[in-house]
Amino acid sequence: MQETNISAKNFEQCQKCSICETVCPVMANNPAYGGPKRSGPDGERYRLKNGIFFDDSLKYCLNCKRCEVACPSGVRIADLIQQARIDYGRKAPKLRDMMLASTDQMGPVAGAFAPLVNFSLGLSPVKGLMDLTLGIDKHRTLPKYSSETFVHWFKKNAAAKQDAFRKHISYFHGCYANFNYPQLGKDFVAVLNAFGYGVHLIDERCCGVAKIANGMIPAATRDARTNIAEFEKAVSQGRDIVTVSTTCTMTLLEEYPELLKVDNSKVKDHISLVEQFLYKAIASGEVKPVWKEGYKARAAYHCPCHQERLGLGIFTTELLKMIPGMELTELESNCCGIAGTYGFKKENYKYSQMIGKPLFDDIAAQAPEFVACECETCKWQIEMSTGVPVKNPVSILAEALDLEATAAANR
Amino acid sequence: MMKFDVVVIGGGLAGMTAATELQRSGLRCAVVAAGLSLHDAPRRDFKAAGGTLLAGDIVVSGQIEGGRLVSVRTEKLGEVLLEADWFVLATGKYFSQGIVADMDKVYEPVFGLDVEYDEDRSGWFDPSFAAPQRFLEFGVKTIDGCALKDGSPISNLLPAGEVLAGLSSAQGDATAAIRQSALDAVAIIRRK
Repeated sequence: MQETNISAKNFEQCQKCSICETVCPVMANNPAYGGPKRSGPDGERYRLKNGIFFDDSLKYCLNCKRCEVACPSGVRIADLIQQARIDYGRKAPKLRDMMLASTDQMGPVAGAFAPLVNFSLGLSPVKGLMDLTLGIDKHRTLPKYSSETFVHWFKKNAAAKQDAFRKHISYFHGCYANFNYPQLGKDFVAVLNAFGYGVHLIDERCCGVAKIANGMIPAATRDARTNIAEFEKAVSQGRDIVTVSTTCTMTLLEEYPELLKVDNSKVKDHISLVEQFLYKAIASGEVKPVWKEGYKARAAYHCPCHQERLGLGIFTTELLKMIPGMELTELESNCCGIAGTYGFKKENYKYSQMIGKPLFDDIAAQAPEFVACECETCKWQIEMSTGVPVKNPVSILAEALDLEATAAANR
Repeated sequence: MMKFDVVVIGGGLAGMTAATELQRSGLRCAVVAAGLSLHDAPRRDFKAAGGTLLAGDIVVSGQIEGGRLVSVRTEKLGEVLLEADWFVLATGKYFSQGIVADMDKVYEPVFGLDVEYDEDRSGWFDPSFAAPQRFLEFGVKTIDGCALKDGSPISNLLPAGEVLAGLSSAQGDATAAIRQSALDAVAIIRRK
């Protein structure tokens, strides 16, 4: 019970203004969801009395955290909802949820048979079967697996060169760069090396966001502890941790202490998203970019929900605006609807696409050459739903920088 | 450090009016705005004009040197300070905590600006709900449009909207007056 007037996750600061409900993408589309105010601070009053008031509809929350961005009183609404799911959710995770959530366990298995897995996951009978047996919606294009992981590539091709640099960082690549899209990791290494930073890997685990979303809390907590211990080791060597995935970053910074109760205070200030890291380095004159002559691109920036929550999207836009020849517009801030594993689930697929529609329409209207976006699951969703390619800002930099001249300028 | 021509603190009617006007006139403008105030249409207009919006972020402190506000620090950007030639303070009144009241004083929480309020608390409110409420008149003091701190003006910090003393939308419609206060700040910036 409440013992002081300082409430967990600020829930007593809720003034019932309901602004959170006006920005909730789920509430606008799925009538089965009670909305952030009812599921969050209002529901919490009842749940504190007795856990039987826990409402199963909280699973419809896609944890985009737009309610928290909108809240004028600093109530951690989405955290309240996730915490309630952790504390009161009684159902064990389904096989499907465990498969979707265990990105780091499924990755090596699927990667080993990548051509076969990618081929069969694209076949409609297989998709139909997965729809029926597992509840993974058959309309969804599934992410491709890579036959060579990023880590394997790095050890073979890049690791030996890294000690020669003057400055060093540790790279948290995340499961996506490792298992699904190693090119992102390769671009990261190319860009950071060009700016004169040696890139080092740590013995990382999955950040745990998908496990948290699917109720696998002990596993997520174990991974979180390992990651924090690894980060502490890196920081003690004088290396900051640089990340590429928005959601991984939010999980490391916010969800570890808030939801998993894993203390990250010793390393928190040393973790930054690559766009934030590079913006600071360039703005302070620490490094100097040399851009390719004649690079031209017309891109539209989609700010992922968790980037918006972290408040760091400005670093990406300011960084991309530095590129001569880059014509950058910003898409109206909307959730794409996929929310990690959420949009893969049969019960959510329809709403996932309804939620994303305003964004898809905006992209169609602006008709950019490509969408710039930091988030891997937004990429899947936008590419599948609009056909417009999505590029990570790091990959855009890798294309726009004259890497050799930049390396020479930052030696 | 991130440099803009104007940083607007607060994204309500006053803040978005000033920011969009200034951005359209060719100045590089950033708005730092926590949620409630961010209505869709003003936000779209501002972004369409090319403005930079820091949604869900708040200004936590400012660096004042020689009667000028040099830069502000936000919660999310941390050590990357926002620097500008001009700052518009449009943080509103009590609900948005542009002005805070405790038992014995009324204050402006970010910069500690001079606030006009009655020393004697007994006159702050009328127990009759529908009566005019004195506390709604409280707000920051200005001279020639500039905010005051310890009696001296901060020459590039211009309060606009309900954070101002004497301006409140809670008693009667003050929309026109709020909008005008924003346009007054815009006029000062344009004149210089």
